[in-house]
Amino acid sequence: MTKMGFSSTSLALAATLLAVPAFGQTDFAGEWAPLFHEDNPERLPGPELGDYMGIPINAAARLRGDSYDADRISIVTQYQCRPHGGDYSMRGLSNMRIDSIYDPVTQLLVGIHTRMNFQEQERTIWLDGRPHPSELAPHTFAGFSTAAWDGNMLNVYTDHLKDSYLRRNGLARSSKATFTEHWVRHGNYLTVITAITDPAFLTEPLVRSQNWILDPNQRIGRDVCEYGPEVPAPAGTVPAHLPGTNPFLHEVADWYGLPYEATRGGAETLYPEYQAKMPQPDTHPAKCERYCDCGNVGRGCNLFPAKR
Amino acid sequence: MKWGLILAAGTVVVLSAQTPPGADLSGKAAAPIDLTGYWVAIVTEDWRYRMLTAPKGDYYSLPLTPEARKVADTWDAAQDVAQGKQCLAYGAPALMRQPARVHVTWDNDNALKVEVDAGKQTRLLAFGAPRQTGEATLQGSSTAQWQSPQITRFYTSKISARDADTPGFRGQAPAGEARPDTRKLGGTLKVVTTHLKPGYLRNNGVPYSANAVLTEYYDIHRDAGQEYLVITSVVDDPRYLYVPWVVSNQFRREADGSKWNPQPCDLILSSK
Repeated sequence: MTKMGFSSTSLALAATLLAVPAFGQTDFAGEWAPLFHEDNPERLPGPELGDYMGIPINAAARLRGDSYDADRISIVTQYQCRPHGGDYSMRGLSNMRIDSIYDPVTQLLVGIHTRMNFQEQERTIWLDGRPHPSELAPHTFAGFSTAAWDGNMLNVYTDHLKDSYLRRNGLARSSKATFTEHWVRHGNYLTVITAITDPAFLTEPLVRSQNWILDPNQRIGRDVCEYGPEVPAPAGTVPAHLPGTNPFLHEVADWYGLPYEATRGGAETLYPEYQAKMPQPDTHPAKCERYCDCGNVGRGCNLFPAKR
Repeated sequence: MKWGLILAAGTVVVLSAQTPPGADLSGKAAAPIDLTGYWVAIVTEDWRYRMLTAPKGDYYSLPLTPEARKVADTWDAAQDVAQGKQCLAYGAPALMRQPARVHVTWDNDNALKVEVDAGKQTRLLAFGAPRQTGEATLQGSSTAQWQSPQITRFYTSKISARDADTPGFRGQAPAGEARPDTRKLGGTLKVVTTHLKPGYLRNNGVPYSANAVLTEYYDIHRDAGQEYLVITSVVDDPRYLYVPWVVSNQFRREADGSKWNPQPCDLILSSK
């Protein structure tokens, strides 16, 4: 061994000996593509009006949902370029890039940063133990997020949220809501479990999960949103349905052969015993007639159900 | 040369000291998380596909090959009942997606028993070498393995060593523990299931083949004083799926088995 070779070997081995073992701290950095193998109809084309299935909403949320008119997005320009809330953004149609944030001096991981291509949403999850801001601090769509490791799982807590939605059909989520996330990586899959607590609109935490696959070749481009009136309406118009006047609420039950009561959501409907209590639907199509194979390679979306 | 060998030997000592201490223990003794107990499914996703039987031809969210679609298009619920095939949607690849309660116990020191009340099904998750004997079954042959948190080494400098107590340096080995016990640090149960009898991924006859491989990851998290289990499930079946089908199912821990309600598959199917 040459003197030079000995020196470089010694340095390398010395560096190894100085290594400090640590645990957890999964590396989430990279390009991630969402997998829509669950709730695809809701997450890609968008939910049907009046579909509150699987959400533990209260009566106030149901009333807000029933008042929703989809023309609102076309007429009220402020809604057109609105990004998803930090909670919903993990479910929406969007690819994601995650960057690690290191302290330049200590090289410790102090945060992770996500960018979604939908509406160019940016979010930072702080890992450096910083406190959450005062209750009076401004709320944002992304909210304020801090996190800590529990083994291989990253537990995230987010507050300071602006009003947003639980589902994109008018089911509201309030600015009083907070949510926790649990990030866990299994090989090239990332699972993020989201538990939303909202004293205004939920009777129990809404727990859902999203899966992603690592896609190193993915490149997120720009997503520039321009707003403008899409449907003529007098200034100040906010399309809405007054209580008891929304004619579209039965559509989802009729189209898919579901019991109308079940489409109204609520905590009771989330658990196995509801199957025994659930009323039978008025009609049950023998064959799928709407959104049957949408999203599959080469398959279209038969949006309008055939007349029965 | 002599110094190089000494340093190299030192390196080996450091690396072997980082071997998880649970490696030589039984599955039960090495468990980094406690999965035993009663769990109830929380159906917040794919509600209408799980609480009811979707109409024939509804394949939304499933990455099916043309062959799978062709097979599913021939599904006939009445024929399934007549042929005693009511349990085809209760095989391992779809079982944990049923609205159900799950009871997990240790069958022995190296096998977890997972009972599911919907369809009265039982799975055995065995630690150690895979065992595939006899005919393929609805629940297949499952091999389990604990996955402890990744061990990461920080390459220290004077500055980072000095700052090792800062909040960003979470996850460091517990002080004074030369050989940290990964059982204290949480982890995941990974289960790989093969040797499956063909069945349905969805109640409405969407097939998986005998060559399907199910890989699952069991993780526990806590929210608002409640304990939750999430099972991330990856079904790989090149015959019927053009990419693996990946879903994650949520469960909440229940204090006891008072709501445990075993129902045979045929009763559940007929009520949908």
